[in-house]
Amino acid sequence: MSNIQSLTYFLPELILTSSAMVIILTDVFFRGRNRNRLIWLLSLVALGIAAIFLLLQTTPPDAIFYGALAVDPYSRFFKWIFLLATVVIYVVSPYSRELDNNPRHEYYLFMLLVVFGLFLMASALDLIIVYLSIEIVSIGSFVLAGFLKQERLSNESSLKYVIYGALSSGVMLYGLSLLFGIAGSTNVFDIQAALSGVPDKAHLTLAVALLLVLTGFGYKIAMVPFHFWTPDVYQGAPTTITAYLSVAPKAAGFALALRILGITFGSSPDMNLGEWLPVEGLPFGTLIAIFSAATMTVGNIIAIQQSSVKRLLAYSSIAHAGYMLMAAAILNAQAVSAIMFYLAVYLFMNLGAFLVAIFIHNRYGYDEIEEWKGLGFQAPAVAVAMGIFLFSLTGLPPTAGFVGKVYLFSVLIEAQQFWWLAVLGVLNSVVSLYYYMRILKAMFLDSEPTGERISGHPALSGTILLLMIPVLLFGVYWSPLMNLVRSSLEFFSPGM
Amino acid sequence: MTTILFYLFSALLLGAALFVVLNRNPIYSVVGLVFAFMNLAAMYFLLEAYFIGVLQVLVYAGAIMVLFLFVVMLLNVQPDRPHPGLIHPDRWWFGIMALIFVSLFLLLIGQGVRALLTSPAEDAAGMGSVADVGEALFTSFLLPFEIASLLLTVALIGTVFLAKKKV
Repeated sequence: MSNIQSLTYFLPELILTSSAMVIILTDVFFRGRNRNRLIWLLSLVALGIAAIFLLLQTTPPDAIFYGALAVDPYSRFFKWIFLLATVVIYVVSPYSRELDNNPRHEYYLFMLLVVFGLFLMASALDLIIVYLSIEIVSIGSFVLAGFLKQERLSNESSLKYVIYGALSSGVMLYGLSLLFGIAGSTNVFDIQAALSGVPDKAHLTLAVALLLVLTGFGYKIAMVPFHFWTPDVYQGAPTTITAYLSVAPKAAGFALALRILGITFGSSPDMNLGEWLPVEGLPFGTLIAIFSAATMTVGNIIAIQQSSVKRLLAYSSIAHAGYMLMAAAILNAQAVSAIMFYLAVYLFMNLGAFLVAIFIHNRYGYDEIEEWKGLGFQAPAVAVAMGIFLFSLTGLPPTAGFVGKVYLFSVLIEAQQFWWLAVLGVLNSVVSLYYYMRILKAMFLDSEPTGERISGHPALSGTILLLMIPVLLFGVYWSPLMNLVRSSLEFFSPGM
Repeated sequence: MTTILFYLFSALLLGAALFVVLNRNPIYSVVGLVFAFMNLAAMYFLLEAYFIGVLQVLVYAGAIMVLFLFVVMLLNVQPDRPHPGLIHPDRWWFGIMALIFVSLFLLLIGQGVRALLTSPAEDAAGMGSVADVGEALFTSFLLPFEIASLLLTVALIGTVFLAKKKV
């Protein structure tokens, strides 16, 4: 589709970019005292309008801008995840005390631009867009991670993020250039067509290209052994941003990796699904399975030793990427829908857990587990909500996390492959129970009732309680979400 | 004639690259890098990729390397003292990593050469002219072009935000 025609399908993204420009100009010309509030409101309105346009977009799958971007239910599903995560963070950001010493207009601006990058990641069909969208998200995240300029941890987090990000971008770019060299095109469908006729001698090059590209994608979803940045970045960044980074870019990384690798290296080009085709000497499914095993084991084992809740949740988010990779080892419709379902559930439970961490941080200014002692008596509602998020993260019934994990495991079991991975996944869930319960123990058992009550801003506590509803609801009645996921499992492909 | 020129520029390029790595004075290294880029541009001209050759001179040798030179001079970097620590028994795994990387790289190049010997690339003369690049940039690659400009905006604002003292 030509550029002008494509614009009508590009409205949500256009709203995001143009409102970002409006915010930059507002920032320059409006010097009033309510500047932060105004920009906050402007960005929320922009997100709302983008959401409306996204809702109105019901066209069948299509590719716009000469096949560079896909407009299909699959990308729309992920765009909803990004919008939801962003709105939650926007709503609680004004009430996070951590950010109080900094003017927040740039903060809101960068979040809008990151959302734009995430939207592109979910719909990219062209290697150039893949690279550019990952860079927009990364550079925006670097700045957001270093937002607390007076704090050394935040500076450190930003710097480490930049260095790891630059390295992995470089490696990924090398892989993409090799792919382009073999196939002679940057469009993934052309690459898929060219790869099926690759001369045998280029197979090693193909394997190397695949590994290098996987490095770049692995960095975005914090896959072991490309996870080293995660704990430090998550600990140093403002907690609101940590919550955001652990959900939205991770979901985008999965969306991008499943689509791009699924098209180029998957067996069936029509639905982009089927199973992984082995590149000569490189059984891709097994490779992903090994990465998955390493990711969840490393994440869980190191999480045990953490005393800082933010670091603990950082390692736990690595482990969750491992669980999702488990299904990615098998690339069929069921696996992709299980990952999408889990990502949606993960959005609620992980954001919820981090918001409670903000709640505690507002009160005490630290995030050690020690500070959580007695929370069950001081703020019972929030503590109970945290308990539910933790149960859900562990995967205990009757929470949504349990249903999500059942779907992930059932992928392996029904495909009758990688039994060892399923067993390892269950063992890992048991390990994770231990460290999640440490927080629970601190909240409810480690202190006597003192009668002292603490309360956060109603917007913060309210959001926490709101996030609790889907975690519980989808734990007992998950078919609406699963139906949504199944109906979103429709990809653009040129043969249609 | 082209073959002789190719070998001449290749030799100069390799020599300049070695000069960059082996020289202890950073300023000389940067100047050596400029020279290496010039030779690279000459190779592009030999391949009839005039546009990319011109860009190589203008952007890399011209703008970026001059910026490098300024930074090196402003930072007042001292010539590197020989440090014996780089080759050290404790760092044996550096060597192993380097070995793996080099052998992989050689394998890749060898494979590429072999594939080219059996099925040579098509003659792409005339491709990559300014007109071609311009047309592609404003039709099928307009979106990446615009996104790149947005990416630069993000990077620019981000840098200014992180670098300014008073928020």
